[in-house]
Amino acid sequence: MKTNAMDKRDAFRHNVLTSGHRACSGCGEAMAARMVSDLIGPDAIYINATGCLQVFTTHNQQSAWQAPWIHSVFANAAAVASGVEAALRAKGKGTPVVVQAGDGGTFDIGLQCLSGMIERGHDVLFVCYDNEAYMNTGVQRSSSTPHAVRTTTSPPGRLSQGKHHLKKDVISIIAAHHMPYAATATIAYFPDLKAKVEKAMRIKGPRFLQILSPCPLGWAHDSALSVTVSRLAVETGLFPLVELEHGELTGVMRLAEQKPVEEYLRPQGRFKHLFGSKTGAVELRHLQALADARIRHYDLLDADTQWDTERAMQSARHGRGGYASSMPTSEAVKNDA
Amino acid sequence: MTPELDIEPGSSHAYHTGDWRTRQPVYRNKWPPCSQTCPASEDIQAWLALATEQQWQAAWRKLTERNPFPATMGRICYHPCESACNRKHLDSAVNIHAMERYLGDRAITRGWKHKAVCDTPQTQRVAIVGAGPAGLSCAFQLARQGYPVTIFDAQAAPGGTLYSAIPDYRLPKSVLAKEINAILALGIELRLNSRVGKEISESDLRDQFDAVFLAIGTQRPRQYLTKESSKHSVMSGLEFLHRLNRGEQIALLSKRKSKQVAVVGGGNTAIDVARCVRRLGAEVTVICAQDSHGNHHRELGTEMPASRQEVIEAETEGVQLIYRAGVCRLVRSGEHLSGIEVAHVDQVYDRHGNFNPVLFDGTEEFVPAGLAIFAIGQEADWQGLERLSQATESEGVWLGGDAVSKSKLAATAVGSGYQAAMSIMARLKGESFVFDDHKKAQITFRQMQLHYYPKQPRHEGETNEQRLDGFNEVVTGLADDDAAHEARRCLSCGVCFRCDNCWHFCPDAAVIKTTADYEIDYNYCKGCGICAQECPCGHIDMERLND
Repeated sequence: MKTNAMDKRDAFRHNVLTSGHRACSGCGEAMAARMVSDLIGPDAIYINATGCLQVFTTHNQQSAWQAPWIHSVFANAAAVASGVEAALRAKGKGTPVVVQAGDGGTFDIGLQCLSGMIERGHDVLFVCYDNEAYMNTGVQRSSSTPHAVRTTTSPPGRLSQGKHHLKKDVISIIAAHHMPYAATATIAYFPDLKAKVEKAMRIKGPRFLQILSPCPLGWAHDSALSVTVSRLAVETGLFPLVELEHGELTGVMRLAEQKPVEEYLRPQGRFKHLFGSKTGAVELRHLQALADARIRHYDLLDADTQWDTERAMQSARHGRGGYASSMPTSEAVKNDA
Repeated sequence: MTPELDIEPGSSHAYHTGDWRTRQPVYRNKWPPCSQTCPASEDIQAWLALATEQQWQAAWRKLTERNPFPATMGRICYHPCESACNRKHLDSAVNIHAMERYLGDRAITRGWKHKAVCDTPQTQRVAIVGAGPAGLSCAFQLARQGYPVTIFDAQAAPGGTLYSAIPDYRLPKSVLAKEINAILALGIELRLNSRVGKEISESDLRDQFDAVFLAIGTQRPRQYLTKESSKHSVMSGLEFLHRLNRGEQIALLSKRKSKQVAVVGGGNTAIDVARCVRRLGAEVTVICAQDSHGNHHRELGTEMPASRQEVIEAETEGVQLIYRAGVCRLVRSGEHLSGIEVAHVDQVYDRHGNFNPVLFDGTEEFVPAGLAIFAIGQEADWQGLERLSQATESEGVWLGGDAVSKSKLAATAVGSGYQAAMSIMARLKGESFVFDDHKKAQITFRQMQLHYYPKQPRHEGETNEQRLDGFNEVVTGLADDDAAHEARRCLSCGVCFRCDNCWHFCPDAAVIKTTADYEIDYNYCKGCGICAQECPCGHIDMERLND
């Protein structure tokens, strides 16, 4: 490929992350990254930590990014971003700086640099695409992997029911930095994700978004179910959608109806070992209790909020369903005669 | 020319991920259940979609492509479309008949005119016998295509059964007349008081016209078979409705007769008659051989044929119904009718499926009545058309409407007229004709993602509380605001309504949005199936690829 011609296939979207990337079929992270980068636009500098996203978008010197993009090493994405932001500031430029990392580059390996970046108050948006394990290297457990999940390094068997430990509550750690804005989102609720990205881009200072991104390979669900599974994660209460400003909880997505965790676990092969055994049944009860505890902690059933899980599905477009922003009918055709 | 570096970055576009695919999404319009069940094959989803955009006139034009009687059918049709509506699995069916009526009424008040589809006049002439819904529907389709059409009708007013047998509280005469006039305004010649075999002969029809469509309806009431000869205090339901619709005073309330009327029959005519009798101030009992709705037992298919909604309304108005009862004899003292003796019906239909009730001895009961009205069916009267009715389509004669179809819904007649018109035109042009070519794959609610649709209450017209005071309409039409909201309740089953879900959710940016619709860039589509899974209306199919 000699010229890096821009993709202009779509008149309604820039496609900052364009086609031809090597993500698996049905990749939730690719979907989330395209959603976020299209909401921010091409006039930004994207810094990537090592991870699936970095590997599958820049394979064989073929970049899927239609915007400036840098990758350094696994741990230091937030540090690189700090430097880029400081340089832009020195030059008097206000170009947005966005870090993109997986859960490994956020919860584990990148946490120290991220913490430093937030502490120093750099004007950077840090987006974590949380797929709950090291998927790029073949599904090893991370500190983001939930309890009782099967990974290659937490295999279920006679003595184990998958990962022993709990998923790290990273949003609380980040919010404890007393930073302007930290929020969780997921791909299933696009209007909510859009509102959160747009809000983050209006705020100055360090901002953090954790986006649950299902991985059909590592979670072992049908590739068509990525959106459905992420929606169920919210509806069961296992992944609350929350907003924290300066450490205070300022918004949650209320659950119109709490679904049993089993509905979320059933389609996923990584929880398959829990079904049909006595010890598995204990873990199922444990996961249900974890969901209930999270619902109580964030008051997900009664909170007074703008969204609930039902209404967030049905925004715009005359309330007829779907996520299209409403298209105004031209006055000429309206009320003919 | 700039020197090329080894490490110069390329675009991922060079790599076509589409060849990973083992199955692929395809946008495909489905045929929603409402249209599937509509006897007139209206594209209900299409006209509701236009109504959603508040393009009222366009919606009316789309609707009248198949059915030129929206104001009429919106009032009287028993709307099988609503029983089939997928929305009932979410909250309640879309109020399709009220929307149809709203569009029809809007057309009448604003004087919208039908437009011809084809401007070049045709020379081949078509005769239609019967100015009922089938005949007029056929004439409408032919006239729109430029054919000169002449309709012959034996009655003094057009409309057939719609005119003579539908009571005013369901269909005001003025509404029907305006819709008929709009159809006739296409240049259709209407000859009233012209019975074939009397005012015009069969051979004249054959000689003067290239095609003849017989849609004579069922105007002859089936007679109650009895040995007794007296016709005193006995009437057929059809005769009763005809006289009422002509504005005659009906003598059922004369001084000497009791104010009790018995109606025999379980069909819609029986219910119409009973509700009219209530409006004339008498008590009425309907004697029905079948079971009530939702309560049929012992053998299948014994539910009364009348519409459930009509029965509910009739009961609200004080109509008494006796189920599983058959007439043994009329009880008279001299000429005077004092009542009907009825008995329990064991078997409604014989093994050939014919109505042939078996009455059980010893279960007799007496139903007092000063007038007995038999609404036990009606049939076509082929008198004067003996030769034409035996002719075939290849001889240039078509048959349609109630006279030949099993279902006697007015909408069925409209659909039959449409099919006849298409068949006639194809034959006159020397083309072959296949109906149903527009039918596509069906769609059920299981193929849809109903959680993307918010629950919304169904909008209804207002019910007239003083309904028994006269023959005023029982239900009013929808208000403008309600109509706009009701149209939006349509789920658009199987037909894209541009919700953007496929576009938003494609992980590979392989769905391209255009001003008109969406396209899939198969160079990059990996076939994950998310678009099909998240499509609210089931418009996207996943197809397996073979190699």
